[in-house]
Amino acid sequence: MQPLVEMRDISKSFGGVRSLDGVSIDLQPGEVVGLLGHNGAGKSTLIKVLSGAYSADSGQIFLEGKEVKITSPRSSQQHGIETIYQNLALADNLDVAANIFLGREILKNGSLNEDQMEIEAKKVLDRLKVNIPNLKLPVYNFSGGQRQCIAISRAIYFKARVLIMDEPTAALGPQETAQVNELIRNLKAEGVGIFLISHDMHDVFNLCDRVTVMKNGKVVGSCKTKDVTEDEVLEMIIAGKKPRVLRDQA
Amino acid sequence: MKKWLAFGTLAMALLASSAAAKDVVVGVSWSNFQEERWKTDEAAIKAELAKTGDKYISADAQSSNEKQISDVESLITKGATVLIILAQDSEAILPAVAKAKAQNIKVIAYDRLIEDPWAFYISFDNKEVGRLQAKMIFNVVKKGNFAFIKGSPTDPNANLLFEGQMEVLASAMKSGAIKNVGEQYTEGWKPETAQRNMEQILTANNNKITAVVASNDGTAGGAVAALAAVGLAGKVPVSGQDADKAALNRIAKGQQTGTVWKDSRTLGMEAAKIAVQLGNGLMVDKIPGSKVFNGGPKKVAVTGMLLKPVVITKKNLDVILKANWATKAEVCAGVSGTKVPAACK
Amino acid sequence: MQKTTPSSNPNSGNLFSRLQLDGRLIFMVLTIAIIWVIFNVLSEGIFLSVQNLWNLSVQTASVGVMVSAMVLVIVMRHVDLSIGSILGFTGMVMAVVNARVFPPDAAWNAWATLAVGLILGGLIGAFQGAWVAYLSVPAFIVTLGGLLIYRGGAWLVTEGQTVGSLTNSFQVFGGGVGGSIGAIPTWIIGAILLAYVLVNDVSNYLKRQRNNLPNRPMWVQIIVTGLLVLLIFGFIQIMNGYKEPQTEVSRGMPVPVLIMLLTSALMIWVVRSTRFGRYIFAYGGNPEAARLAGINTKLLTTVVFAIMGVLAGLAGAIQTARLGAGTNSTGTLAELSVIAAAVIGGTSLSGGVGSIPGAFLGALLMSSLISGLVLLGYNSAWQQVVQGLVLMIAVLLDVLYNRNRPR
Repeated sequence: MQPLVEMRDISKSFGGVRSLDGVSIDLQPGEVVGLLGHNGAGKSTLIKVLSGAYSADSGQIFLEGKEVKITSPRSSQQHGIETIYQNLALADNLDVAANIFLGREILKNGSLNEDQMEIEAKKVLDRLKVNIPNLKLPVYNFSGGQRQCIAISRAIYFKARVLIMDEPTAALGPQETAQVNELIRNLKAEGVGIFLISHDMHDVFNLCDRVTVMKNGKVVGSCKTKDVTEDEVLEMIIAGKKPRVLRDQA
Repeated sequence: MKKWLAFGTLAMALLASSAAAKDVVVGVSWSNFQEERWKTDEAAIKAELAKTGDKYISADAQSSNEKQISDVESLITKGATVLIILAQDSEAILPAVAKAKAQNIKVIAYDRLIEDPWAFYISFDNKEVGRLQAKMIFNVVKKGNFAFIKGSPTDPNANLLFEGQMEVLASAMKSGAIKNVGEQYTEGWKPETAQRNMEQILTANNNKITAVVASNDGTAGGAVAALAAVGLAGKVPVSGQDADKAALNRIAKGQQTGTVWKDSRTLGMEAAKIAVQLGNGLMVDKIPGSKVFNGGPKKVAVTGMLLKPVVITKKNLDVILKANWATKAEVCAGVSGTKVPAACK
Repeated sequence: MQKTTPSSNPNSGNLFSRLQLDGRLIFMVLTIAIIWVIFNVLSEGIFLSVQNLWNLSVQTASVGVMVSAMVLVIVMRHVDLSIGSILGFTGMVMAVVNARVFPPDAAWNAWATLAVGLILGGLIGAFQGAWVAYLSVPAFIVTLGGLLIYRGGAWLVTEGQTVGSLTNSFQVFGGGVGGSIGAIPTWIIGAILLAYVLVNDVSNYLKRQRNNLPNRPMWVQIIVTGLLVLLIFGFIQIMNGYKEPQTEVSRGMPVPVLIMLLTSALMIWVVRSTRFGRYIFAYGGNPEAARLAGINTKLLTTVVFAIMGVLAGLAGAIQTARLGAGTNSTGTLAELSVIAAAVIGGTSLSGGVGSIPGAFLGALLMSSLISGLVLLGYNSAWQQVVQGLVLMIAVLLDVLYNRNRPR
């Protein structure tokens, strides 16, 4: 089956420090892939290359088999790649609709069509069963879970084919985490491919079809969650040791 | 021993030769050379020193008291034998004067008073300027509502000017012929501030203003702009000071009554002359034409010379032209109609 | 009408947000009203005289023109300390160009002079903005440098000489003699304003109702719209109530006030209705989020500083024309008045929050204080003391409000 996304041999250095060293990963439609590794293993750098925040020094990116050049956040969005950043990437002082449409506002005769954006925002939030009473309030008024849902609904409104989620539940309570996890399952069912960065092993095994583990800017290995145990994944992360399935293949 | 003797002779010879040449090195410490007028003063001082073959060195304190103190020190180090100081602050400069005195270096307080008997004060008589301003207005109107646009509250001259103005108008004010209907300081002598203050005075008096005693030409410009806005420019007499080119033009146009001209070239020339005399060993009280003056805030008696300023009105604008202070084109720009002053014909 | 600009309310009470009113604006209008009444009583009716209010409007114009751009600069977490100097420099250049370079009789002289000033201001602003955006030098430093450079520049243009005899056509920009638009054009502008307010408020209300979006209660909307209509009426009455000297001819709105209104209207539109304005606030709220949303934040920064420069040039034209002469001290410390007005109007120095109508009221508040104190004969020292206190109190209110704000 043709992968939805394939990143091949990506390298990226920051002032002599090699953050990514020939990294290759792939993602199938409707698949959730967990990206795991220590802080500084290169996960965040890798997804920032895909989302256009950084440009790679070398390597190729394929979408549905076709090579694409991602040069900016805008071009990544145009290819249907949406990113939900760890730090939320919401402008706290703007209202809900303004945040959902940030950078892609609906215009009418060259000026902002506030009402239309408010209506559309309401629609997408309703679809995700997110309850936000007043869309005209700046988003600092809302809880972490609500804000995360706003960030996700932004991705969904623009019909993401690929969704990148960097620690989507790190700042959330249990109930809100469940809400976001539910959302991830719904999107998966719609055929969206998802890269999920998480430290919560329980969430990873719960949501992901596959895990890809990184260490020191390289991929340790990638395997289906049903083929490995939590302990084996932890060994991959900590020691960079391949699990039995991968050793057997080799 | 022989060596030492030789060295001593050499040193004596050097001293003797410098004394024989009687080279005066005049060190000038400017408070803020950014202001337009000091350039003229500098040129006059330089010209006068060039005549006698003496040397000019200078430093600019850029409005900083601290820098002026160190400026004076470095001028002394550079070999100044007389100092001309335009004090940024008449108090803060005193330690520098004391230092000069300790090394027997004479000091001239240029334009701004330094209350130390060691310093020779040379300036135009600021109180007299104030008197002249009031007189030029009083010559036109003898009664009515007078507004006073004073100078910057941080400049002691502003108060001297106002005192002079009051001296002239005191009796008329006492009799009730003249009423002070508004007086405002002008922060930093800024014309735009003077304009706003004048507008407020006009408003407060329902535009019933007979005359405006403005303390310099910049503030006069602001006052005239405010008067123009209510159609009173040219109808209400306005005084001034400095003989700014813009003000001379207003005088020619009849929008300003007159200005008090302190020819800074005279001031510079006189100061240079005195500097040379002091440098050649004359004591401050022996300078010809000097007088003892104790009109400062602390009433310290200092020796000095106060130059007489000149009043310029529409009638004697030609004085300015003859002195090459301003050109006819500058003074007479846009002047037309029946009341063209003689100088512009 | 004034709710869409992100801004904060000092009396954060739920009442205001429930009614969709900007509590801060209401608070400021009330404060100004109280100050006016007090001054009026103390000055025995002179403060609220037509002449004084007319003058007050002109005295506010220069700061009022600049403050809208300063709001944008501060919202983007920057500051511009150089505007007073840019004002002085462009003003001086315009004076020279007007009086000495362009032929004084040419009809195009005034407009060409103005264009020179605006372009010069824009270039200076863009230059400083580029330093901030592309070279990452803090705006505080860049514009502090600018403060010195352009003040020095203003002196160097004529070596400190005052440039007088500006053409009458240029002096129109300052609102002096012949610098007002007359009664009928004033009424026309008033009518346009009234029509805009009525049509906008009614159609907005109906549209939101149709789309099932939350709306203000009807009675609140009626009161708000009604007050705006009254305000416009009163403003026109004052502008037309002031007569030309020794005649009964109404002066109408002074040109600098017209310039200020047009500038403010344009800037409010930019902030509320364009992507550009939206991005400025997004950047202020979270610069990283703005960048990741695909916004060219460097260009955005440069353009905002360029706008600031253009408006400083415009204020330079107003000030210079008003005085009828270019002087090298014009605009000294104007940056402080403008920053103070913006902050009093609710612009937060930590970025992301600010409103142009608020800042405009801040400017009006400050100039009312100065005007009133001069009218009562208090000297400049007292004016400074009062201004400083007002600034501190305004920021205190902001701090108290933000302390209660969820973060």
